Amino acid sequence: MQGEYFDGLTSRKHHVEVSVVAGEILGQGPGVSFRWPLKGIRLIEVRDGRVRLAPATGDGRLILQAADWEAASGLSVTRVQRAALRKEGWLVGVLAVVGISLTLGVFVGIPMAARPLARATPLELEASMGRNMSKQLQIAFKPCTGDAYGQDSLDALTSRLARDADMPFRIAVIPVHAPMINAFALPGGTILVTDDLIAGARSPDELAGVLAHEISHIEKRHVMEAVWRSLGVGLVLDTVVGGGSGAGQQAVLLASSFTEQRYSRTLEREADDRAFELLAANGISSAGMADFFERLADKTAPEQVNAAAEWFATHPDSGRRAKAARARAKAGMPALSASEWAAVRQMCPRSPNKPKPPWPLRRKGG
Amino acid sequence: MQDQTETSEGETLAFSETLDVRSFLGLSLKNGLLNLITLTLYRFWGRTEVRRRVWSHVKLNGEAFEYTGKGRELFIGFLIALFTVGLPFLVIVGGAQFLGPMYALLIILPLYLGLPVLVGAAIFLAFRYMASRTVWRGVRFHLRGSPWDYGLANLGYGLLVGLTLGWFQPAASMRLAEKMWGGLSFGSLNLRWVPRASDGIYGPFAIGWIGFVIGYFVFIGAYMGLIMTSGLLPTPAEGGEAPAQPTFVFMLVTYAAFFVFALYMLLVFAPYQAALLRAIIGSLKIGDARFELKLKTLDLLGLTVSNIILVVVSLGFLSPFVQARTARFMIRRLSAVGTAPLADARQARKGPGSGEGLADAFGFSPI
Repeated sequence: MQGEYFDGLTSRKHHVEVSVVAGEILGQGPGVSFRWPLKGIRLIEVRDGRVRLAPATGDGRLILQAADWEAASGLSVTRVQRAALRKEGWLVGVLAVVGISLTLGVFVGIPMAARPLARATPLELEASMGRNMSKQLQIAFKPCTGDAYGQDSLDALTSRLARDADMPFRIAVIPVHAPMINAFALPGGTILVTDDLIAGARSPDELAGVLAHEISHIEKRHVMEAVWRSLGVGLVLDTVVGGGSGAGQQAVLLASSFTEQRYSRTLEREADDRAFELLAANGISSAGMADFFERLADKTAPEQVNAAAEWFATHPDSGRRAKAARARAKAGMPALSASEWAAVRQMCPRSPNKPKPPWPLRRKGG
Repeated sequence: MQDQTETSEGETLAFSETLDVRSFLGLSLKNGLLNLITLTLYRFWGRTEVRRRVWSHVKLNGEAFEYTGKGRELFIGFLIALFTVGLPFLVIVGGAQFLGPMYALLIILPLYLGLPVLVGAAIFLAFRYMASRTVWRGVRFHLRGSPWDYGLANLGYGLLVGLTLGWFQPAASMRLAEKMWGGLSFGSLNLRWVPRASDGIYGPFAIGWIGFVIGYFVFIGAYMGLIMTSGLLPTPAEGGEAPAQPTFVFMLVTYAAFFVFALYMLLVFAPYQAALLRAIIGSLKIGDARFELKLKTLDLLGLTVSNIILVVVSLGFLSPFVQARTARFMIRRLSAVGTAPLADARQARKGPGSGEGLADAFGFSPI
């Protein structure tokens, strides 16, 4: 049979006469000849009725009519292709077992292990992590240096709220200048409250609601739980999935972000629930929490839109939180006296140059 | 660089393709689904299959290219990058969280400065691997040069681009392309980098640069104007009023504005992108043959926009389809003038045993 041959040493094409004799492929042409063992011959490609063959090792290539090749070698092209498919099936099977195990580990195992891990984390380790995070954050968000009486009032309120909680740490509340309405609980018991939040709160009860919520995060060691969870999930996914936009990679990353946020919302609900208990235990009105969430809520969007948007958020939808809070709200004493509240509001003097938040921002942190 | 001087006559170069792009839809679906159930571990084998298919449908002088890479090689490359770069990087950055801010900065800053070097090296290594796995008439391609040299150049040129407010970008792109394409050879037959004086890329770049500056201010102004006048922005905080959460419409308008601006950027830089590609390909010679890419700006813009939409809408599922249509698009516009002694190339030495681990970690792949 006739064939085209490339010897793998130069790029010159040779026309050769090919035969199969005693388990070997023999090729002969002007100035060229070769002899390949039939065993281990590689079928590189089948296209347009032609086969492209290569020896077990080496760079040579032989192109023949598929029918000629099957007749001479007694090897079925279809059978070779089926064998390759079976091999791929095995590969996919093994990869699927590894992949599914990793998926279960990432989406179920790590989140489940995060809480016990958080509880088992030595307090000193968490505290040192918190100190560093606090220092790093305070580079960007400068602590407010205003009224000392305001700080005392804030500390007293925090101590009251924390008195009934099972606190692993001493709480330190630090008001900071930042262009957002937010409060973060850091590892190790530090709570950062932004000046915009203090300015935006209409009553001390609203601020007390936020503080009680953050204290609950600390009591339940939610921060450390989130750290372990995102560390574990992030580490595994970053290393396994890589950063590409190839088929499926983005889908996996999206799924992981939904999972992360679902767990985050669960912790937020837990903290909301506990905050009510802490407020009630101190006889502080919990109506402020409902007021605060109501103002955060996007009332212009239909409920379904907000419910859908919640999927993408770390916090439960404010509208729903407001409803739940309104249902549970109990009347009580104001959290601070008028003079204390006035002093707290003086703590972060708003510089006349400070721009207003350019647009409203969602609360992102704890 | 002296080409082969053996006796054979030169050949003219004619590129053609037989890519049936629709057949890549099935492959896209298969790869996507297998990636999902394997937590994307199948991607190395999937990518290999896409390349094998694309290469085998691209022909030079009637002879198809062959891709000889294996999924296993990419997987090993991934493991190597994971254990030598990825994990140590994560451990160091993670560990630095326990140090004071200044110490953390001292450790993390050099790491981030080193990233452009690493990214450059990753691009070079990926290109070298692909070249070594591309075979035509039984002879491999080969890339000379050093990945670290390329990585350092990437860092240096990047800094220059920053210092010159972007104006060094065209020169940087051409120099990096020279380091890459100028080092390529088909077996023992070297490609040469011989830029044409007629390939001006600074004119089109100026259109993009000025378009960007004007567009930036116009868009910011128009966006803020729209937000302010339409009352979408609830006024925050004169003594005690908490601003509301961003409304749904506000978010929608913001995303739409970003989308329009991104489209505008693609539009103003499209003449430059097309000119750059024409200049890079037009600078390449093999033997006496000079390559040429007949690429029109609007065609490239159409391809880019439709590719982005396809990838985004399909969450990356259609990447193989997009790669096939891009290959077809380019090959149809690729030609060469002059002759080259293609039959005289001698085999290149074997390439690296594994590849592209770093490129995979950074999330880019030439195809």
